[in-house]
Amino acid sequence: MSTQSNNGYLIIFRGTDWYKGLSPEQMQQVADNWMAWFNRLKDEGKCAGGNPLEREGKIVSGKNKVVSDGPFAESKETIGGYFLLTVSTMDEAVAIAQQCPGLPYGIRVEVRPIAPQCPIKDELVSKEQLAHA
Amino acid sequence: MNISNQNGYLLLSSSDEWYNDLSLEELEKVVQQNKAWVDGLVAQGKVKGGLALGRQGAIVSGNNKRIISDGPFAESKEVIGGTLVLDVATLEEAIAIAKGCPSLRYNTHIEVRPISDDCPLDARLRQLQQPAHA
Repeated sequence: MSTQSNNGYLIIFRGTDWYKGLSPEQMQQVADNWMAWFNRLKDEGKCAGGNPLEREGKIVSGKNKVVSDGPFAESKETIGGYFLLTVSTMDEAVAIAQQCPGLPYGIRVEVRPIAPQCPIKDELVSKEQLAHA
Repeated sequence: MNISNQNGYLLLSSSDEWYNDLSLEELEKVVQQNKAWVDGLVAQGKVKGGLALGRQGAIVSGNNKRIISDGPFAESKEVIGGTLVLDVATLEEAIAIAKGCPSLRYNTHIEVRPISDDCPLDARLRQLQQPAHA
């Protein structure tokens, strides 16, 4: 897992149900810890930004462009927010993900390298190379 | 469905690796269409940013154990392949833009989510604290 990305990493927080069982005091503590974590990463120049997402939205899918409601509230899979990390290795991005204050409460953090260009385009390049080979 | 949001909307496009099954001609066509779609939105000032994600990755989870697993990203249909941040004010407009995505015909699906500037924990706290003051 020493993959490198010059474009940074996106860390995605999954789970929108994990804080329902917390007391107001616990919730306040996690919220404070989360904000302190975010601000520290920004101060260290390791995070370019981030946002929570509203617990609502729609899904547009397939050929027929069907619009459906997601299960966006109280779900384990739903994306609750994200940070854009400016670090250059997967190891460092994972180490940051491991600091997420929501982890002990069941949140999951997905760590994804940002591609230099559209991956479909990479596929096209390799097909073109094959065609010219 | 006329929810309005000043922070914009995030489009999250998910799919399997459908593009591996296309011929060179088909793939060239869809790449051009995708580019034209994004360029058009940029020209209209509807896009604030966007990211393409590699299919590699990891998932960190676990109650104190903090288990790290490599994501099963290669074959899954649910992998997020890219994001677009839309500078539009209504969910309808964001959905209309999502419907224009050329990859939809290959069974991609696109999540349309309002971006928030309010911590969900704070929002929940306010909700819990309200009855006490009522």
